[in-house]
Amino acid sequence: MSKRQLPEGFQDLEPYLEWSLATDRERSIKRQTSPMTKITAFYQAVVPRMDEILAYLEQYPLEQVPADAQRLFYLTLSLAKIAPAVEMYGEPVPEGLDTLRLENIDIYPTRS
Amino acid sequence: MTLQTNGATGGKWHARYPELGTGPVPIEPYISLEYFEKEREHIFRKVWLNVGRVEQIPEPGDYFVKDLAVCRTSVIIVRGHDGQVHAFHNMCSHRGNPVVWNAKGTCKMFTCRYHSWTYGLDGTLRHIPDEKNFYGIKKDAHGLTPVAVDTWEGFIFINVDPRPKETLREYLGAAGESFEGYPFAEMATGCSTWEVDVNANWKVCKDAFQEVYHIFSLHNKSTGAAFASTSNPYLNVHELALFGPHARISVPANLDWKPTPVEALARRYGMLALQKQGSSSQGMPSGVNPTASPDWSFSGLIYFPNMCLFVADGGIIMHTMWPLSENRTHWEARTYFPKAKTLAHRFSQEYSRATFVDGVLVEDGGTFEKTQSMLASGAKKQVILGDEELLIRHHHKVTEQFFNA
Amino acid sequence: MALGKNKWHDRYPELGTGPIPVEPYVSPEYFEQERDRIFRKTWLNIGRVEQIPQPGDYFVKDLTVCNTSILVVRGKDGEVRAFHNMCSHRGNQLVWDTKGRCQTFSCKFHGWTYALDGSLRHITDEHNFFGLKKETLGMTPLAVDTWEGFIFINVDPDPQQALSEYLGKGLRTSITGYPFEDLSTNCFSWHTDVQANWKVAKDAFQEVYHISTLHRRIIGDVYASKANPYANALDFTLYPPHGRVSLSANPGRKLTGVESIVQGFGSTVLQQNNSASEELPAGVNPTGYPHWSFDGLALFPNCLIYVSKGTYLTHIFWPITENLTRWEIRTYSPQAETLSGRFSQEYGKVSFRDTLLEDASTLERTQTMLRSGAKKEIVLQDEELLIRQHYKVTESFLNA
Ligand code: FES
Ligand code: FES
Ligand SMILES: [Fe+2]
Ligand SMILES: [Fe+2]
Repeated sequence: MSKRQLPEGFQDLEPYLEWSLATDRERSIKRQTSPMTKITAFYQAVVPRMDEILAYLEQYPLEQVPADAQRLFYLTLSLAKIAPAVEMYGEPVPEGLDTLRLENIDIYPTRS
Repeated sequence: MTLQTNGATGGKWHARYPELGTGPVPIEPYISLEYFEKEREHIFRKVWLNVGRVEQIPEPGDYFVKDLAVCRTSVIIVRGHDGQVHAFHNMCSHRGNPVVWNAKGTCKMFTCRYHSWTYGLDGTLRHIPDEKNFYGIKKDAHGLTPVAVDTWEGFIFINVDPRPKETLREYLGAAGESFEGYPFAEMATGCSTWEVDVNANWKVCKDAFQEVYHIFSLHNKSTGAAFASTSNPYLNVHELALFGPHARISVPANLDWKPTPVEALARRYGMLALQKQGSSSQGMPSGVNPTASPDWSFSGLIYFPNMCLFVADGGIIMHTMWPLSENRTHWEARTYFPKAKTLAHRFSQEYSRATFVDGVLVEDGGTFEKTQSMLASGAKKQVILGDEELLIRHHHKVTEQFFNA
Repeated sequence: MALGKNKWHDRYPELGTGPIPVEPYVSPEYFEQERDRIFRKTWLNIGRVEQIPQPGDYFVKDLTVCNTSILVVRGKDGEVRAFHNMCSHRGNQLVWDTKGRCQTFSCKFHGWTYALDGSLRHITDEHNFFGLKKETLGMTPLAVDTWEGFIFINVDPDPQQALSEYLGKGLRTSITGYPFEDLSTNCFSWHTDVQANWKVAKDAFQEVYHISTLHRRIIGDVYASKANPYANALDFTLYPPHGRVSLSANPGRKLTGVESIVQGFGSTVLQQNNSASEELPAGVNPTGYPHWSFDGLALFPNCLIYVSKGTYLTHIFWPITENLTRWEIRTYSPQAETLSGRFSQEYGKVSFRDTLLEDASTLERTQTMLRSGAKKEIVLQDEELLIRQHYKVTESFLNA
C-alpha cells in the first residue's frame, strides 16, 4: 500500500505528482519535453482546485511547511510554469531561444 | 484619406531632438570588429558600469567577482570591515594570478591560490609567504589595484578608468535623479537572475529593450494584447525622453485586457512582472510614470551604455548586456520582487517569472542570433528606424560623441 | 596500367602529378579565402524545383559559408526567386521555418510584410516612419537560376557568369536528356555535421580507389572484380572547373539473398549491374560500357551528382568552419507504385546508408591527422584526378 503523498483532501491530484518538482530547471525540462495533451490534462486537473490549494497553503509559515504540503506547493509552481503553454501558446514552449540555454543563478549570499 | 506622416512633421519624439536626424542607421556598428574595439576603449573602459546591488554583499567580508571581458579585466567587489563597498582588479601583485576564483562568497582575507600571498578586505597586502626570499619588497606598495566604485540607490557601479572624468552622480545626471526614491531596496529583497551567452552584438540585444514597437507583433501570443489596444494598436509610448547619454521610456498598459485564469489567480496574491492594469505610481518619483497616465504599465531608465532598468508598481526588471566580442554577448536578465511572504505569494511570483522567461527571454532572445546572422550577411548596409525607435538612434549618436571626444 | 603512363593525368598534363599540400584542409585563412572567392562568388546548388512546386511554396537555406540565410520562393507568376532572408527594417531573419507555403512573408519582430516577389507591402505603424519609399525597401534579391530542375543561387550581387556559362556547354550536353524530372518524385534526405574540412568529405566521394578496402564487406565486389581489382574508372572527363567520372560494375558479382529479392522489384540506390544505359542519353556512360554502373558529376565547388539507371543521388558539402562541415545526402527515385517497390527502395536506402557510415568513419579521423602537422603534403594517384583538379581550380579562384 502506497503512502499518502499529498495533504488530506488533495489526494485526487496524486496522479499528477510527476509535476511536483523542486527546481526551476526540472520544471523547465518537464514543460519542454511534455506533449500538449499531458500539459493540458495537468492544467485542467489543477486549475479548478487552485482556490482551495492556495487557501490551504496560506496557513503555513514559510519555514515550517510539512512534506505533503510542500509537494502540493511544487505542483502549483509547475502550474505557474505551464500556464502560458496552455493559455497563450497552444504549444509547450514559444518559438525562440532554447530555455535550457538559460542559466538560473542565485546572486545573493547563501549562508548555512 | 492620406495619413500625415512623420516625413512631414518630424514625428512626435524626433521633432524634440532634431539633432538626431531621421535617416537610416548603418549596420557597421553591429558587425565591425574595429568598431567594437573603439566601444571598448572609448566607452566601456571609461564610464560607470552597473555590476550589481548592495544586497549581494550585505555583511563585511561578503564579496562577488565580475568578469568584465569588455574591459579586459575581472573585478572583486567586497564589503570591507568599514562597511564600505570596495572594488579591485582581481589580480595578485605577485605574478598576476586572479586572487579570487569563485563567483561569490564571504571571507576575512583574500589568499591567492598560487603562492598564498594574502590581502585584507581593504586590498592591502598582508602576508608574503617565504618573504625573506624576495628583494626589498615594500608590502604597502603591493596591495590590490583599486577600481573606482560608487553606489546609487543600492546599485553598485564601477569605472575601470583610473581617473574617471565624472562622478557617478554627475554621469547619471537628471535621468538618474528622476528615479531616486523608487523603493529599490524593498523590491530587491528578492532577486532572480538568468544569464546566457548569445551570438549577437550587444546592441542587437539592447535594441530589443529600447523600443516597444515589436510588442504587438513578436509577443502577439503572450503579452501583445495586454499592452497594445484597439486605440493604440502599435503600443506608441507615453514618453521618450533623452538626458545626455541616457534616456527614459514610459509604457502604457491596455486597461481592457482580460486576464487569463491563472494570471488572475497569480494577480490575487501579488503584482506581476509584466503588470498590465491596476498599477499605481502614487508617491513614486517623477521619472516613474512621468506623464501621470492612468493606463501606465512601467517606466524604464535606459542607462548608457549597457543597462535597461524597468520599474513597475511592485517589481523591477533589469537587463545588462556584457559584450564579449563584436558578435557575442553575455546577457544578464534580472527580476527584483520583494521576498515572498506566503506560499501563495511565491506561486504568484513563479507565474510572473514564467511569463517573463517566455515573453522576454525566449521571445525577445530568440530574435538576437537570427538578426545578427542577417546583419552580418552584407545584404543590406542600413537599418530603418521609426519615431518610436528614437532611443536606438540616440544610442548610436551618443556612441559617436564618445568616439569623437 | 602500364608503368610510366598515366591514363588520366596524361590527358590533363596541366594538372601536374606531384603531391598536394595539406594546408587547404586545415587553415582558417585558406577557409576565409574559399568563403570570399569561391562560395560568395560561384553558383551553388541549394535544392530542386520539386521542393517548391506551387506559387507561395518556399524553403530557407542557412548558408553559413556565405554568411547568410536564403529564402527561395516560387512567385505567383511561377518564377523561382531567391532573397537574403533579411527584413529591411532592423535586419531580423524574415522567415524562421525551414519550409512552408504562404501568401506573404511577415516579419515576426514588428510585422513588416513582403510579397512573394520580395516587394515590401506593408509597414506596421507606418506613419511613425520618416519619408520611407516602400519600393526601395524590398528584400534583397539574389541571383537564382535553375538547370535540369536544380536550383542554383549566387550571392555575388553581380555574378561574373550566367549559370549556364558557369556549368559550361560540355558538361550540360553530356547529361542533357537524363530523366532528372521523372526520377525526382521521391527524395530521401539526410544530413549530418562532421568535424572535418568540407574537402575531406568531398574527396571521399570523388574517387572509388578506396572501395575495395574500406567498403570491402558491403560493396567491395560490386564495382571491383578480378579483372579490375581497384575499380579503376571507365572514364574521366574534365569540364573545368567541373569534372565527370564513369564507373563500371562487376558483371561477375553474385547477388546476396535479399538483394536478389530486391532486384525483382526495382532499383537499388546505385544500380550495381545489368545496368544497360540504352534509354539514357548518349553522354551518360560515355564509353558505352555494357556493365556500366554510374557516372559522377563533380560540380565545383561543393556538389556531386551521381546518375545511374532509374535513380540518382547528390552529395552537397556545406562548410561551416575549416574543420566542420554539414554533409547533405539526397537520393532520388520514382515514387514506388507497390509495397514491394517500397520494400526494394527501403533496402536500397539502408544499404546505401551503411556505405556512407563507412565513409564517414574516415572523415573525422583524417581531419585529426591532417591537423597534426605531421605531414605537409598528401599523395594522389591517377584515379584521384578529381581531387587534384579541385585543388588546382581552387588555386586559380584564389589567385584570380
Ligand atoms: S601569483 Fe599570487 S601568490 Fe603568486
Ligand atoms: S525587423 Fe522586421 S519588422 Fe522590424
Ligand atoms: Fe606545479
Ligand atoms: Fe520584447
